[in-house]
Amino acid sequence: MHRYKKLFIATLLGSLGSLSSALLLASPEIPGESTDRPIAVIGATVHPVSGDAIENATLLVRKGKIVAVGAKVRVPEGAITIDAAGKHLYPGMFDAYTDMGLVEVNAVRASVDERETGSINPNVKSWVSVNPDSEILPVTRSNGVLLTLSAPNGGLISGQSAVLQLDGWTWEDLALRTGVGVHVAWPRMSPSIDWDTDESAKEQIESRDKALDQLRKAFADARAYAKARRADESNHPIDLRWEAMLPVLNGDMPLIVDADDIQQIQAAVAFAEQQRVKLILYGGYDAPHCTELLKKHDVAVIVGGVYRLPQRRSEPYDTPFTIPARLHEAGVRFCISGSGRFGASNVRNLPYHAAMAVAFGLPHDEAIKSITAYPAEILGVAGHVGTLEKGRDATFIITNGDPLETATQVEAAYIQGREVDLNDRHKRLWKKYEEKYRRLGLMNE
Amino acid sequence: MSLSRVCWCAASAVLFVTLLKSHAAPPTTIPVEGLRHNTPRVHALTGARIVIAPGRVVEQGTVVIRDGVIEAAGDVKPPADARIWDLNGKTIYAGFIDAYGEASISSDAAKAGTPYWNSLITPQLAIANHYKASSDANKKLRAQGVTARLVAPSSGIIKGTSSLVLTGDDPNREAIIHDRVAQHIRLTVSPGRGRETYPNSPMGAVALARQAMLDADWYGDAWAAYRANSTLPRPERNDALDVLQAYPDSSNLIIADASNELFVLRADEYARQFALNIAVRGSGHEYKRLDAIVATGRAIILPLEFPKPPNVASAETALNVDLEDLMHWDIAPENAARLDQAGVGISFTSHGLKDQDTFLNAIRKAVERGLSSDSALRALTTAPARLFGVEGKLGTIERGKIANLVVTDGDLFAEKTKVIETWVDGTRYEVTAKPEFDIRGEWKVSVEGAKHPIEIELAGESDKLTGSIDLEHEDEETSDKEEESDEDESDEIKLSRVGFRDARLSCTFEAKELCGEGVARLTVVVSFPEKGPATWLGHVTCADGSRLSVTATRMDEDEEETEEASKDKDKKKAKDPVAASFAVNYPLGAFGRAEQPKRSKTVLLKNATVWTCGKAGIVENASVLIVNGRIREVGEDVVVPKGGVVVDATGKHITPGIIDCHSHMATDGGVNESTQAITAEVRIGDFIDADDISIYQQLAGGVTTSNILHGSANPIGGQNQVIKLRWGALPDAMKFAQAPQGIKFALGENVKQSNWGDEYTSRYPQTRMGVEQIMRDAFHAAKVYRAEWEQWRQTRQGLPPRVDLELEAIAEIVEGSRWIHCHSYRQDEILALIRTLDEFGIRIGTFQHILEGYKVADAMAKHGAMGSAFSDWWAYKFEVYDAIPYAGALMHNAGVTVSFNSDDRELARHLNHEAAKAVKYGGVSPEEALKFVTLNPAKQLRIEKYVGALEAGKHADLVVWSGSPLSNFSRCEQTWIDGHKYFDIDEDRKLRDEENRMRNALVQKILASGEKMKEDGETDMEESDLWPRDDLFCHGHDHGSHE
Repeated sequence: MHRYKKLFIATLLGSLGSLSSALLLASPEIPGESTDRPIAVIGATVHPVSGDAIENATLLVRKGKIVAVGAKVRVPEGAITIDAAGKHLYPGMFDAYTDMGLVEVNAVRASVDERETGSINPNVKSWVSVNPDSEILPVTRSNGVLLTLSAPNGGLISGQSAVLQLDGWTWEDLALRTGVGVHVAWPRMSPSIDWDTDESAKEQIESRDKALDQLRKAFADARAYAKARRADESNHPIDLRWEAMLPVLNGDMPLIVDADDIQQIQAAVAFAEQQRVKLILYGGYDAPHCTELLKKHDVAVIVGGVYRLPQRRSEPYDTPFTIPARLHEAGVRFCISGSGRFGASNVRNLPYHAAMAVAFGLPHDEAIKSITAYPAEILGVAGHVGTLEKGRDATFIITNGDPLETATQVEAAYIQGREVDLNDRHKRLWKKYEEKYRRLGLMNE
Repeated sequence: MSLSRVCWCAASAVLFVTLLKSHAAPPTTIPVEGLRHNTPRVHALTGARIVIAPGRVVEQGTVVIRDGVIEAAGDVKPPADARIWDLNGKTIYAGFIDAYGEASISSDAAKAGTPYWNSLITPQLAIANHYKASSDANKKLRAQGVTARLVAPSSGIIKGTSSLVLTGDDPNREAIIHDRVAQHIRLTVSPGRGRETYPNSPMGAVALARQAMLDADWYGDAWAAYRANSTLPRPERNDALDVLQAYPDSSNLIIADASNELFVLRADEYARQFALNIAVRGSGHEYKRLDAIVATGRAIILPLEFPKPPNVASAETALNVDLEDLMHWDIAPENAARLDQAGVGISFTSHGLKDQDTFLNAIRKAVERGLSSDSALRALTTAPARLFGVEGKLGTIERGKIANLVVTDGDLFAEKTKVIETWVDGTRYEVTAKPEFDIRGEWKVSVEGAKHPIEIELAGESDKLTGSIDLEHEDEETSDKEEESDEDESDEIKLSRVGFRDARLSCTFEAKELCGEGVARLTVVVSFPEKGPATWLGHVTCADGSRLSVTATRMDEDEEETEEASKDKDKKKAKDPVAASFAVNYPLGAFGRAEQPKRSKTVLLKNATVWTCGKAGIVENASVLIVNGRIREVGEDVVVPKGGVVVDATGKHITPGIIDCHSHMATDGGVNESTQAITAEVRIGDFIDADDISIYQQLAGGVTTSNILHGSANPIGGQNQVIKLRWGALPDAMKFAQAPQGIKFALGENVKQSNWGDEYTSRYPQTRMGVEQIMRDAFHAAKVYRAEWEQWRQTRQGLPPRVDLELEAIAEIVEGSRWIHCHSYRQDEILALIRTLDEFGIRIGTFQHILEGYKVADAMAKHGAMGSAFSDWWAYKFEVYDAIPYAGALMHNAGVTVSFNSDDRELARHLNHEAAKAVKYGGVSPEEALKFVTLNPAKQLRIEKYVGALEAGKHADLVVWSGSPLSNFSRCEQTWIDGHKYFDIDEDRKLRDEENRMRNALVQKILASGEKMKEDGETDMEESDLWPRDDLFCHGHDHGSHE
C-alpha cells in the first residue's frame, strides 16, 4: 500500500511541472502500462459482486485478466505485490449511459460531438469521435468510474454506442465493445406544456405522429434494403443508414430506447415486439408502473438517474429515488446510470445515485451490482467486466471504504491489469493553489 | 292679483313639466335630416313579476318607461300614453352588467402626445376615446341579459381607463354612460417578450408599476414647485403621469387583473403601498386562499369559465393529471358562492368564457353549487353598479334609473328559463322571437274538385322541412293493404322544395293523378286563430297551368302528452348537484395541509447525536429542548418540562436545518429581468410562489431556509428574498423576517451575453472590462443620488428630486444596508470586483458559485468575502473549466467562510450529500463540512444570530436524520421550522394515501359525471406557471428530459 501511495503522490507532484490547462489539449495523465508480471493485490476485502465479500483476500492478475480470487490464493514468484490491507476491492464502476468523450464543455459548441443533424442516424458511431485526452476521463476514473457507455443522442435514431474503459492512447484502446446498441429517442406521447415548450399541444401531437411514422418507415425501408441486398448483394448500392440497421433487424444489436413516460415505454415495447428486435430502455422513470410488461418481454432498464425530480407535481417526493428498489422488487432487470445533468462532467457521481437508491429501499448489494455487474450484463460485456471473477478483465478499484459513500476515497484503479493514473485536472489545480497558500502561510493544516 | 299670478305660474309650471314628460326626447346636437321621428317612447310592461332589486319582488306589477328612463315600477297604473306590453307570466329583472370586457387601443395612440418612457405605462389612454361598438357582440350579450358592460383597454401594465357602455344599438354618444370608470392595471407581463424590451418578467412589471406611481407623485410636486417659482428649471411634460397622479390617496377606482389567487394578494399589497382604491379582476381560483383574500376587503370581478374535467380516460393519461387539477375541477364552480358567503363583494364578467352564450348557464351552475339567487343577481346588477359608481343609474328597477331590463319566462336561475327580451335604454330588443308556429304534423287538405280530402304530412327540421302526400288516407284497412302492396309510390308523393316563411307555405310535387302528369306547385297562407285549429288557404298550380284552390285544417295530435313525458324524462336525467368532495388544503393539491402544523409549547427531542454546528460541536446521546419555537437547551441532561411533547430520537442524528444560499425555486416572477444591464429595482420578494411543490420536496431533504435569488442575466440584477420553507403558508408568511436585504450581482459570460446567441452583441457591457466599469458607474450615481436628496431635505430649494427605485437599492448597497450576492467565476473578475468594492468601502455579502475563488482565496479572506459554491459542478461552460471540487476546502483553509448551495431544485434535496464532498475533496472535517450547509450559509445571509446552529435562543429549525447527515444512506425523517414540524416521513406516507384516496374519488366522480374531458395535453395552465424556476443563464441551458 505504501508503494502505491508514494506512487500516487509522485504522480501528483510530477504533474505540477507539466500543467496544461488549455482547452482540448491533451491531459497529461499517461495511460497505464501493461506488464507481463503477475499482480497480486493482497490483504483487502474483495467484493467480487458475483458472490459474497471475501476478507483478507488475494486477487491475482495475469496478462490483464483475473486468474484467482480468494482468501487462500498463492502469490506466485515474481509477482508485483500490492498490499491493500484494510482496503476494499470492487469492480470498476460502470455508468451505462453517458456522453463521455463526446462533450468537453457543454456551452462551447466546438467541443460538442454528441448529436448529428437530421433524425435518422443509425450509422453514426459514438466511439470514433471520443477524445481520449478529454480532461473529463481522468476526473471520472478518479472516483472509480472506469467504464461508461458512450452514446450519441438527439434526433429520432441517434446512432450507435460503445462501452469505453477510461484509459488508453486512442479510442481503439478505450473501446471495450463497439456497436453496443442503436439509440432511439422515443417521441413524447402525451403533450406537455411548460415554460420551455415551443409547441402547442396540437403541434406536439402532430410532431409525435410524424416522428412515429418516420420511425416505422425507417424500419420498413431498412427491411426492404436488407431484402434487396440479400437478393443481389454485389449490385445494390450501399445505404449506410440501412446497412447499420441490419444487426438490429437480425436481433444481434439491441435498440436502446430513451423513454421515461409510461406511454412511451408501452409504445416502445410494442414497437420492439412488432419489429422483432431486442430492446433496452433508458430513462425508465415510469418503468415501475409496467413491470409485468417489461418482464414478459425481458426488457432491461437503464435507470436514467436516481437524483431526479418527481416528474409530476402530485407524486411522492422520493418517486425517482425508489425506481431501482421498485424494479428490483418486481424482478425487472435494471442498472443505474448517473445521467449527470451536465453530461460527462458529472459521471463521477454515479455511485451516489446508487447510494440514494439504497437510502430508499434498494438492498446495498443490489446497488453495487446496479453500477457494476448489471450494466455489464445488460450491455453485453459481462464476460469482461462487472465482477471480480476468474477470467474477467482485471478492471477494479481499491478504496478505503464503501464507494457508495461520498467520503470514501478511491486510492487506486486498474483497467485490464494496467494501473490507472488517478491524477486529474482537478487535483493538479488543487495542488497548484495549495502551493500558493503554503507560500503565503495561509494553510491551516 | 298677486294670488292669481302665483296660481298661473304654478299652473304653467305643471304644464311645462307635463310637456317635458310626454314629449321631450333628449336634445341632440345633430341636425335632423328628413322627417323628425316622434314614435312614442313610453312603455308599460304589465302583468309581470318584477324583481325590483335583489330580494325585493313585486309579484304582479307594471314597469313604466318614459324616454329611456324608468318612471315607475310596481303596483302602478300604466299611463294613458303608454304602449302596453303584456308580460303576464313573465319576470322582469334589472338589466345585467357585465363587469369586464376588453378592447384594444392602437399602439399609435400610446405614442402620441407626451407618453411615459415605457410603452406599457399608458394611464392616459381612455377607452372612451377609442370605443367602437360591435353590434354582433352586443347582440350576443343582450341574449344573456347583459345591458351594460365595462370595456377596458386590453394591454399594458398601467393600461388606461375603462368606460361603461350600453349594449343597445345606439351610437357611442348614447352608449357610453360613464366614460372613465376605472384605471386598469396588470402587475405582470406575459412570457415570451424577448430579452430586449423592459420589462420581460413579472417582477420587472411590478417594479415598473411602482416606479410609475412614484414618478406620478413626483410629477405633481415638481410642477407645483415650478408653478410657485418660475425661476426653477421647467419639469418635463408627461400625459401619463398627469393622469396617474390622481390615483393615490383618492377614491378613483383602479381595477387590477389577478390571474390567480396570489395575484390578488399582490395587487392588494401594491394598493396599500400607494393608498389606492383597488378592485380585482379575478381568476376563479380565489377559493384556494379564501381567508387571505377576504382579509384584503377588495371587491372581485369574477370570470365564469369553469374547468373541463382533466383527461382521466385511461390510467396512463390520468397519471399525468395533478390532484390540484382534479380538485380545481371539483371546487371551481363553488368559488363564487364561497367568496360571497365570506363577504367578498363579487361581480360577474363574461370575459374569459370560451363561448359568451354560456354566461347565464355558468351563473346558474354557480347558483346550483351554492350561490344564493339574490347574491347572483346582486353580482349581475347592484354590485357592479356600486363598484363603478353608477348605482344611481343602473342595477335596480326604480324610478329614475336607465331603463335597462331583462324579461324572462321564469326564474332566471332555473335551468330552462329563457331570456325573452332585453331592454336597453328604453329600447326593446327581442331575444327569443315569439315561438314560430310549428307547421309540422298532419294536415287534412281539401283540393278543389277532389272527392276525398288528402293528407299532407310535414316533418323534418323547421328550417329544413320535408313532407309527403298520402293520397289514400282513409282508414286502417287501407293501411293493411298498403303493407301488402310492394308499390308504395302509388300511394305516397314526396314533397320537394318545402319552404315556410311568414306564414306562407310552398312546395312542389309530382302531381300524378292529383292534377295531371308533371310537377305541381302548392302555395298556401297559414292562419293561426286564437282559438281552434290552424287552417290553410291557397292553391295548387298544376302542370298545365290550371289552378285549384286548396284549404286544410290541422289534424289533432297528442302533443301535450308527449311533452309531459319528455319533461319527466328530463327530470330523471337532471341530477342533484353534488358539492365539492374535499376541503381546500394549502396549497391546493397533493401534500397540501389542512392547516398549518400545530406548534407545541415545549418539545424535547431526546437521545440523539446532535450536530450543533455551534461551540458544543457534536454531542452524543443528547437532547434538544424547544420552547415556543426557540431552542432552549441542547445537552446530555436536559429535563423534560411538564406537559411537553417528547420525541424519541434514539439512534438518530439531529442537525440544524439546511440553508440553501442560492435557489430559484418558489418564485413565479420569472427569476431573471434580463433586459437591462441594471435592474436593481426588481424584487424576487414580490413573487414568492408559495404553491411551488419544490418547497415540500426540499423540506423532505432537510432544507429550512432558502435564499431565493434573481438570475444572472445582468451585472446588477434584482433583489433577493430569504424564505423559510413554511409549506402551506402564504407568500408573505414565508419571508424570513429578520434576514437583511440583499441583491444579486453577476459577472462573466452570462452578463456579457456570451452564450445568448449571435444577435446579442450590443448591450453594455460585452466584456469583463465593461462589467467592472458599469458597477463603478452605478455606485457613483447612487452616491450622487443620495447627496441630491440630502441637499433637498436640508434646503428645500429647487425642484424636488425623484425617487428612483433602482438607485435607492444601489445606494443601500453603498451604505451597507443591502448585501451583494455576486455570481462569479473567474479569478480576474472576482479580484476586480473586490478592488472596486474596496474603493467604495463596500463589503460584499457573498460571492456565489465562486468557481475560481480558490485561486484568490487570500484576497477574499482579506476583503472579508464569503463564498457560496457548487461542490463539484464544472465544464458546463468555458469559464468553469477550471472549477474544482477542492475549491471549498481550499477557500475554507484560507479562512474564507464557505457554503455549498444548490442553485437547483433537485440538488437542494440532498445538500447534506454535497457537504460530504468537502470531506472527500480536501479533507475538511465532518463537523466543519456540515457547516457548509448550515452555519456558514447563515453567516453569509447575516442570519446566524437566528439560525444555522443548535444553540439556546436560536430558532428551532432542525432536521432529524436516520443516520449521519453526511452519509449517503441517511434519510431526512423530520424537518422542523420555528418549532413546527413541517415534514415527517411517516406523515408523508399518510399524505400519499390521502392523495390516492382523493384522486380515485375524483376520477370516479369525473367518469360518472359524463362531462366532456379535456383532450390529452389540453391544459388551462395559467401564465404564471409558465415562468421558469431556474436561472436560464446559469448553467448551459440543459433542459434535457432528464432534468
